[in-house]
Amino acid sequence: MKEKVNISYPLFESFKDKLRPKRSQAQMALSQVNVFSRLSWQEIKIVENAVHIRNYAPGEPVFKQGDPGSGMYIIIEGCVGIFLDIPQQAPKQLSKLGDGDFFGEIALLDASPRTAAATAIENSTIIGFYRPDLMDILKTKPALGGKILLALSEVLAVRLRSTNGELVKVSRKLEGLLESGANE
Amino acid sequence: MSNTDSVSIAPQSVRLFFQSFFKTLVYFILLILLLAGAYKAFPLVVDALFLIVIAAILTAVFNPLVDRMESSGIRRLYGTLLMFGGIFGIVALGVVKGIPTLLNEVGRIKDIIQENSATESLNSMMGDINSRIAEYIPGFQLDLDLISSLSAKFFSQLGSVLAGALDTLATFIFILIITMFFLVDGKRMTKQLIGMVPNRYFEMSLNITYKTKQQLTNFLRGQLLAALGVGIQSFIGLSILNWIFDTNISGVLLISTIAGMANMIPFVGPFMGMVPAIIVSLFNNLGDPIAASHFYYILHIIGMFLIVQMIDNNIISPIVVSGSMEMHPLTVILLILVGSQIGVLGMFLAVPAWGISKVVIQEVYQGLKGHHLI
Repeated sequence: MKEKVNISYPLFESFKDKLRPKRSQAQMALSQVNVFSRLSWQEIKIVENAVHIRNYAPGEPVFKQGDPGSGMYIIIEGCVGIFLDIPQQAPKQLSKLGDGDFFGEIALLDASPRTAAATAIENSTIIGFYRPDLMDILKTKPALGGKILLALSEVLAVRLRSTNGELVKVSRKLEGLLESGANE
Repeated sequence: MSNTDSVSIAPQSVRLFFQSFFKTLVYFILLILLLAGAYKAFPLVVDALFLIVIAAILTAVFNPLVDRMESSGIRRLYGTLLMFGGIFGIVALGVVKGIPTLLNEVGRIKDIIQENSATESLNSMMGDINSRIAEYIPGFQLDLDLISSLSAKFFSQLGSVLAGALDTLATFIFILIITMFFLVDGKRMTKQLIGMVPNRYFEMSLNITYKTKQQLTNFLRGQLLAALGVGIQSFIGLSILNWIFDTNISGVLLISTIAGMANMIPFVGPFMGMVPAIIVSLFNNLGDPIAASHFYYILHIIGMFLIVQMIDNNIISPIVVSGSMEMHPLTVILLILVGSQIGVLGMFLAVPAWGISKVVIQEVYQGLKGHHLI
């Protein structure tokens, strides 16, 4: 078997480093989100020009439960908590999201009210990608808009399949419980 | 202890009093200077805002076209330049071809008025109209002196209107340049402006901006298409009148353009559109004795414009004007009266401006309600 020999050329490596395009934090964050992961860097740059980068202080709401959904958020830096408001009780924390995490992507397709609230837990820099931005991309760059919509549909399909699986499990459990109840 | 305290506190409180007094005084002077500056600069600011608003409206009209070009791979800057090249070409052609024709037409009408025979002819025609109406309405009497003084006033003002037209042309070119910048960089400008909105109102502001822009574009596109429809129909109708009834209307293209544009003013516009056609036809036929005794060609023109209006109201407008403005006729008349204080452009813009304001208010209200802010 032929052994692979690694020879490093410091001059060449430094030259390659210099030529490598500099990616912004926002571009890096966008490329990690499944909705944009199949886009080229050039396309990611177009998306970067369309999105809004916002800063949130600790305790500041990103959106409230019941607000009409209008877009998705990607955390560049910081920490965001997802809370469920329960009447006459303290809000229940459902999850804690950090760098590179994203939430609210379904709101890009549907303006129904948010089912939970998102609040910054620490100083956070967040990318907001909203429906008007997506509509604008669809209008001016239809091919890119199509790719994003396809990726969003895939996310939905995966969730639907997983929900179906859960539903089958629950219905089987329920059938089992009903049968055992009838036998008793 | 208390003595020393009162001694030390007294000068400090006096100092604080003077400090706050001078601070207030400085603020007061600054406020007066600011108000004086604003008062001085107010007309300039109003002028600039007026230009920006018209440029924004034009941007909403042209934006879909530039978006379409961008979607087919043409860069936004090149698309805008291409479109404006076309517009400037049409405007230049209009200036080169249209203005001399218009000046000739006005000069010819002036000559007709200045000729005694024409005045006699006009008087005889008016007398004829008078007697025919009196057959149906006994005792009817047209005030001929009033009509001739009104027409003399109208034509004496035409010169100053034409001189003002050149000034308007310069303003129009300036507006087009602003529109060009808005078309190329408008999205970035809007993004930066919305970026200044606090997080709490951000989503709502973005949605309101988007929906308002969409509504505005639909509304303006609809209005322009309807105006184009009326213009084309008027052109065809007037040409048919010239061809079949020998109505002798010159400058059909110009009159049709005016009719189309005037149509954007609801209720009053269609009547404003037919006035130039009637005036031109009336003066073109002044020397003709047959035409003088048969003034039915005026009824033909009115009939033609009524048919155009019927087609527009029942077929074209319902199809193209998606966001129709349901306004009470009294509101429209009041708006046009208010707009007329600014001039003809004010009359044109009053109704669309009110329509846009209505859309903005509705969207802001719904946005605030949706986000539970009211």
